Amino acid sequence: MTFSKQFSPPFSPVLLLGLALRPLPPALLNPLLGRALVIMRNRHPEIFERLAELDDPVFLIDPIDLPFAFLLRPGPKHPSLRTISDPSKVKPVATIRSSFLQLIGLLEGKCDGDALAFSRDLVIEGDTEAVLILRNAIDASDINLMDDIFGSLGLFAKPLQASVGIMGRIFNRLDDDLEVFRNAAFRPIQQKTAAQGDEFKSLQGRVHDLEKTAKTRSGREIIS
Amino acid sequence: METTSKLTLGPVFFNWAPEKLRDFYFRIADQAPVDTVCLGEVICSKRLPFYEGLIPDIAERLEASGKEVIFSTLALVMNEREVSAIYALSQKPEFYIEANDTSAISCLKGRRFAVGPFINVYNEATMDYLIGCGADRICLTCELPSRSIRILAEHSTVPLELQVFGRMPLALSARCYHARLHSLHKDGCQFVCDQDPDGRSVETLEGDGFLTINGIQTMSHSYVSLLAELRELQDIGVYRFRLSPQDVDMVGVAQIFRQVLDHRLDPGEGQNQLETLSGNVAFSNGFYHGGEGCHYINP
Amino acid sequence: MNSPLEIVCPAGTPAALKVGIDAGADSIYLGFRDETNARNFPGLNFSRSELSEAVRFTHDRGRKVLVAINTYATAGNMIAWFRAVDDAAACGVDAIIVADIGVLEYAVKHQPQLRRHLSVQASASTAQAIKFYQQEFGISRVVLPRVLTVGEITELNQEINIETEVFIFGGLCPMAEGRCSLSSYITGISPNKEGVCSPASHVRYSEEGGQLISRLGGYIINAFKAGEAAGYPTLCKGRFVTGGKASYLFEDPTSLNALDLIPALMEAGVCAIKIEGRQRGKAYLSKLIPEIRSMVDAAAKGDMMPSSGLEMIAEGQRQTAGVYKKSWK
Repeated sequence: MTFSKQFSPPFSPVLLLGLALRPLPPALLNPLLGRALVIMRNRHPEIFERLAELDDPVFLIDPIDLPFAFLLRPGPKHPSLRTISDPSKVKPVATIRSSFLQLIGLLEGKCDGDALAFSRDLVIEGDTEAVLILRNAIDASDINLMDDIFGSLGLFAKPLQASVGIMGRIFNRLDDDLEVFRNAAFRPIQQKTAAQGDEFKSLQGRVHDLEKTAKTRSGREIIS
Repeated sequence: METTSKLTLGPVFFNWAPEKLRDFYFRIADQAPVDTVCLGEVICSKRLPFYEGLIPDIAERLEASGKEVIFSTLALVMNEREVSAIYALSQKPEFYIEANDTSAISCLKGRRFAVGPFINVYNEATMDYLIGCGADRICLTCELPSRSIRILAEHSTVPLELQVFGRMPLALSARCYHARLHSLHKDGCQFVCDQDPDGRSVETLEGDGFLTINGIQTMSHSYVSLLAELRELQDIGVYRFRLSPQDVDMVGVAQIFRQVLDHRLDPGEGQNQLETLSGNVAFSNGFYHGGEGCHYINP
Repeated sequence: MNSPLEIVCPAGTPAALKVGIDAGADSIYLGFRDETNARNFPGLNFSRSELSEAVRFTHDRGRKVLVAINTYATAGNMIAWFRAVDDAAACGVDAIIVADIGVLEYAVKHQPQLRRHLSVQASASTAQAIKFYQQEFGISRVVLPRVLTVGEITELNQEINIETEVFIFGGLCPMAEGRCSLSSYITGISPNKEGVCSPASHVRYSEEGGQLISRLGGYIINAFKAGEAAGYPTLCKGRFVTGGKASYLFEDPTSLNALDLIPALMEAGVCAIKIEGRQRGKAYLSKLIPEIRSMVDAAAKGDMMPSSGLEMIAEGQRQTAGVYKKSWK
């Protein structure tokens, strides 16, 4: 992994997906992420109001089980949200590291950030106050990613759902069961995104390979 | 109101052996240029029985040498026995008493008393209220910045006092840290705090001097020194300065402060002497300057 | 059946308030977004309009809003605290929670009809002190400082005729509240004046030599080995060295959990139990409040119900009944 060398990511479906996504340039997500941020600004202006006390902060959000990170710039001047593959090029005010699902949980107010920090599943570096402001601002609103983002994007959402949606919604339920993961997660996506079928076939193949490797390495953990 | 500068020797916070305590106060009585001396147990009521019997002699000796005596009450009052002791004291009009807890204010309301540094006086409204209760002297809490002290002094109708020397009292607890450190319970503490007559030094994991524990009390590691700020304090309208006893030559400390107040010693030279006399200890004055209490801002 | 203890639930944001109410809290305590309250954390707390809305939402559901104005007003700038009192009254809140004598006096004079609770920050630890605040400032309730055992609370309640509220869960100050300058000693920001302990602006985490290091104001507070549960970077729960030995000198990184004492506290005459954590957020409340609700209701019926499964939200993933049990001292 490019990031988070000091942390070994949890072995999760997201990790598998992350590895599977590795050949895809994360930059493909950027237009959708930008759009998502605009939607968030419209639907949850209170978040950005609470962030106003910071001077154009840049946060590096690093899901330790994905091969790329997100760069969030929520300030009013040049708001942006995009993927980033080389974090050494940016100087974030703070870095927030956790597994992708836990980051989503934090965003939706379903995970307790302090509890994650106590168990060391959430790691903060840099300006702790800026992170606290961001956390409190997000916790002050009722974010539901599925309703907020996918509800608003409509047709345009398809490719985004195919990538982010898998992680956020389906994997959450599937947990570690790779068999179910393969059958239930990728089949519907294939159906939804027929146009991209070929790409996903290769993805599926890759995941299948990974699954084999993973089972040989630590079968007990995964299957139990 | 008075405009001559006066020195007060605060109460001894540490658990000193009775003989040491007696000798200390006798020497203060005979040699230290202080105007007022606070007696009494402020930290732990369990220590008092060891030296209670000496207090009348000490008070007499101090008064005989022309010093005003104040009886300071407990900082954290936690049971009825302690309240009763304060109440009994408050019924003796011949004693001048310094209240360090609301329980004591409650006992003293309506008669003349002093407000100690453990009472939270952060603003003029609280100050006015306490003056209305009978407070005729207020020693401010150590974390107040000069801008607050100035406003309070401009507003006050009674003399204000500020600690200008010694470790700062930073916190109180129901828990005894000396006992905890020795894996003892508070009720069976074996009075282990007597092993540390200047408080038990606490360092960070990186070896920086940090805090000092003294029974249920936590103090600064550094000694506050406002020697360089005395002139400004006088300009602000504060004329009473408290020296908090440490296990150093307190007569020498009092002499340095007295000389600086009397313009017989340069504050910088006074600070040098203070450092020599206090041994290897850090000094601080950051609270006064509105910042971190642990910092020392060069004048 | 006894009347159940009032559950006083923290809210740092309007969203948290809704979660607390929906989860079964009887009262919500909160603060304005400034230095007038003791959880003046960035991005937290309520604007005036959010408070109005919160009062409407809460009253519609038959619950109460308590506003903490519990820091010590700054000399020469008392207006911020006075305005907080007036605005709380104008919003129709059910009570204010106050520590400073100057603020109490203002409230008595200018908003006499507004119920006053004495904040834990006032550290009124004896019947004598509590009666004093009652006589002088007409307080209706005292939040007891965390220095008393259940036995001592029982005795206290026999001597006073005023409601008592105690902390039951959450962050645990080992020091007497409102009388601690440890954090300001190394950060310059005071819990009493600015309403922040161990301010995030002065906290730095870093990975050094395989350990998670926390620093406050440049001083190292703790070092956690890989896999070791971590705590807040508050000074009093740090690891320090004395006599060549490193230890949690003041308090372990731990949370107060006195839920099992709910029946005993009812017996002791306590009327309300308070949960610390206005800085914690929705997930914390949605786990905690339903659990406490069912325990309180069971206790009112005379049933005993063990608490469970709250270790994960506790600091250091450890819990203590704190000073309520004498062995803590």
